[in-house]
Amino acid sequence: MSTTGPHPPLVLAKGLVKRYPGVLALDHADAVIEAGQVMGLVGKNGAGKSTLIKVLAGATHPDEGEVRIEGDPVHIHNPHHATALGLAFVHQELADVPNLTVAENVELGLGYPKRLGILMDRRRLRDKVREVLQGLGAEGIDPKAPVATLSVAQQRLVMIARGMAANARLLVLDEPSASLSGEEIDQLHRTVRGLADTGVAVVYVTHRLDEIFEITDWVSVMRDGKVVLSCPTDDLNKASLIAHITGSAEVTPENRERAVLGTEPGEELLRVEGITLPGVVEDVSFSLRAGELLGIAGLVGSGRTELVRLIAGADRRPAGRILVRDDEVRINSPRDGRRHGIVLLPEDRRSQGTVLDFSVRKNVTLAKLPAFRLAKALPMPNVRRERASALEMVSRLGIKTANVENPVRFLSGGNQQKVVLAKWLESGADVFIFDEPTHGIDVEGKEEVYRLMEELALAGHGVIFISSEFNELVGACNRVLVMREGRVVGELAGEEITDAALVERCYEGTAAA
Amino acid sequence: MSDSASQASRAEPPDEAGTRDDRRRAQIDRLNSIVARYGLLIAFAVMILAFSLAKPDSFPTWANAESILTAAAPALIVAAGLTVPLVMQDFDLSFGSMIGLAGGAAVVMMVDNDAAWPVAILVALALGLGAGVANGYLIAFLGGSSFIITLAMGTVLTGLEFMFTDQKTIFAGVAEGYVEIGQGDSILGLNNQIWIAAVIAIVLWVVLDQSELGRYMYAIGGNPEAARLSGVRIRQIRLVGFVIVALAATIVGILLTAQAASSVPNTGVPYLLPAFAAVFLGSAVFRPGEFNIPGTVVGVLFLGVIQTGLTMLQLETFVINLVQGAILIVAVLVSRLGQRAA
Repeated sequence: MSTTGPHPPLVLAKGLVKRYPGVLALDHADAVIEAGQVMGLVGKNGAGKSTLIKVLAGATHPDEGEVRIEGDPVHIHNPHHATALGLAFVHQELADVPNLTVAENVELGLGYPKRLGILMDRRRLRDKVREVLQGLGAEGIDPKAPVATLSVAQQRLVMIARGMAANARLLVLDEPSASLSGEEIDQLHRTVRGLADTGVAVVYVTHRLDEIFEITDWVSVMRDGKVVLSCPTDDLNKASLIAHITGSAEVTPENRERAVLGTEPGEELLRVEGITLPGVVEDVSFSLRAGELLGIAGLVGSGRTELVRLIAGADRRPAGRILVRDDEVRINSPRDGRRHGIVLLPEDRRSQGTVLDFSVRKNVTLAKLPAFRLAKALPMPNVRRERASALEMVSRLGIKTANVENPVRFLSGGNQQKVVLAKWLESGADVFIFDEPTHGIDVEGKEEVYRLMEELALAGHGVIFISSEFNELVGACNRVLVMREGRVVGELAGEEITDAALVERCYEGTAAA
Repeated sequence: MSDSASQASRAEPPDEAGTRDDRRRAQIDRLNSIVARYGLLIAFAVMILAFSLAKPDSFPTWANAESILTAAAPALIVAAGLTVPLVMQDFDLSFGSMIGLAGGAAVVMMVDNDAAWPVAILVALALGLGAGVANGYLIAFLGGSSFIITLAMGTVLTGLEFMFTDQKTIFAGVAEGYVEIGQGDSILGLNNQIWIAAVIAIVLWVVLDQSELGRYMYAIGGNPEAARLSGVRIRQIRLVGFVIVALAATIVGILLTAQAASSVPNTGVPYLLPAFAAVFLGSAVFRPGEFNIPGTVVGVLFLGVIQTGLTMLQLETFVINLVQGAILIVAVLVSRLGQRAA
């Protein structure tokens, strides 16, 4: 630990213990955060990262242990107090007010500049916020624009600006790069680096390990409520970092053994011809055969999510033809998609994939409830048979839950994703579309998701896998389409699929097919 | 990974030592959850006991129980009907006016148009069906806000009622068979209305808690987008919700005019707020935070007992209002507090 310098560290957490009923969320966790450093905080979901952050944010109070700021023991009462102490937090869920302007959001709760004692001085407000944004290298954001009109990346910068406007000395970023494109992540990294250079301490939480090596000076790894490693980033490489996170050695996604490689695809399950939704998806054609794990690579906004939503009937009916096993079908709704065996596991499993307050059982059977009737003509589900099916899915997919009657809300991200998959298994579906299935899932969970997709493909289904993390596609797919600006601009197969090739086609758009 | 680790989203392996602190905390949690689940029932029992002690001769009697149940029957029918759209997060503020329209229209059919009473009932039910379909279409298919659309629909329905009845009180010429529905006794000597209310409550309980349709309704309430992507016909099912509450209101309109053997303009609107109060109270029992029919039944009876008990104590009206409101607030708060801690 680097606590022995002449100055005490900006933030020192010692021996933090936090118990929830039946759970030890923090188990004597120690952390040192130095001014002017970017510290990566990594660990599996449930390793205790969020609880540690909540303690610093004053959102929860530790049962044991203490927090010192510049050597002084402090008890952080509540989030407001944390702000007063110079601690700022940017959570993964954007906590801004969409209909207010950028400037109003940045200064929200900090006391707007006033005129005549009561009126808001908009000009001074804008000037102040413009200055803060410039300090972040985000001149491009107009302080007058409503936040709702900004991209996710810009909204994150607004949240960071909010922390800076409050004179934060510590900035905690919880998965700031989630759902950002490569270029946006670079911009974010420049901003973070710039802040650290001005003496701000940054805690950077991420599941993308590449980022750790790009941006951090120091890494703290959490596991089972403890900080199990704290060292300079330069002392680590990716493999050793993963080993510390999982507690065991693990292969990285791109070096996986691809189960589907070398298998011979079967009959054509799905063919789309000239799918078009003007301005979003332009004239996309491709086919998917049984046993294929087809990747779709592309940046956010390339039209890949929109494309698969159109095919699965989640949105309006597009122009173009959809053929299932050579028969043209009309898909106007998700219900139609399902009837033709095409199912979508959507990007945001919490808001689109599951009913969070429903139990595992009710989620698993939601899409195939008529199969569980007490009697054929009686539309009442037989709970016992539902439970048996849910239990079977739990053991088949390795869903970690004490009980199938537990609400899905309390499951980890990876397990929620498995529940979404369980919903569609044995529903008669044979084309499974996974949109960013590993988003926000820890290393072990990701590997399980890859394996589940591979099993589906090997069982003779067609699988479409969308991801922003190209190394995932490299490590799982036997064919990848590259999309840019609504069009398919490249297609790679087998050994041609490399991270470099995908990146090149995404940015250059050179058609290779 | 142990079982308990997956119970919480921030799941960690449990402290194996299992300290005394943990056990005490678990006990408090269990107590809180009991308070949340059964707080209203306990309050209900205490209230019955209190009224019985205060008025030992008149409150705890068979006759009084029957009169409370008879008075609660129409309230239960609309509250149970209202529970269905509320499960899907849809409001209906028009059913009060629907009660008035249905009763008024049925009576006018019999009195002015010489229709046989079963025909009058069918006309009323057809109007209810129409109002429910209109609400459902405007809200679920055209995307209107349920709050505003049903508020406006309420005005439209009251307008229709006045068109039929000329805003007149009609008390002569109501068919005997019709009156019998509201006034007659049947099994066990209990008023028909009690049995009708019980049957409707049971049917809606079966629909919501035991049928596929009900499962879909709760799914729509929990996450409409996930339900839609799972292939649930969310628009049609939301429409069904509005139809159910409108038909429940129609039945109440018929029962009220039958019981009174007359039609008084705009009788239904006073049923609006108590029905909402009962359903929300009910969402604090059995399955805290979730609208459910057994809870609604308790909510309706709770309100009915307060009303009757306080009236029997011969308190002044303003005292009844104050006490009734205060009891409601306390009952809901007790449940919510327990629920948050749990």
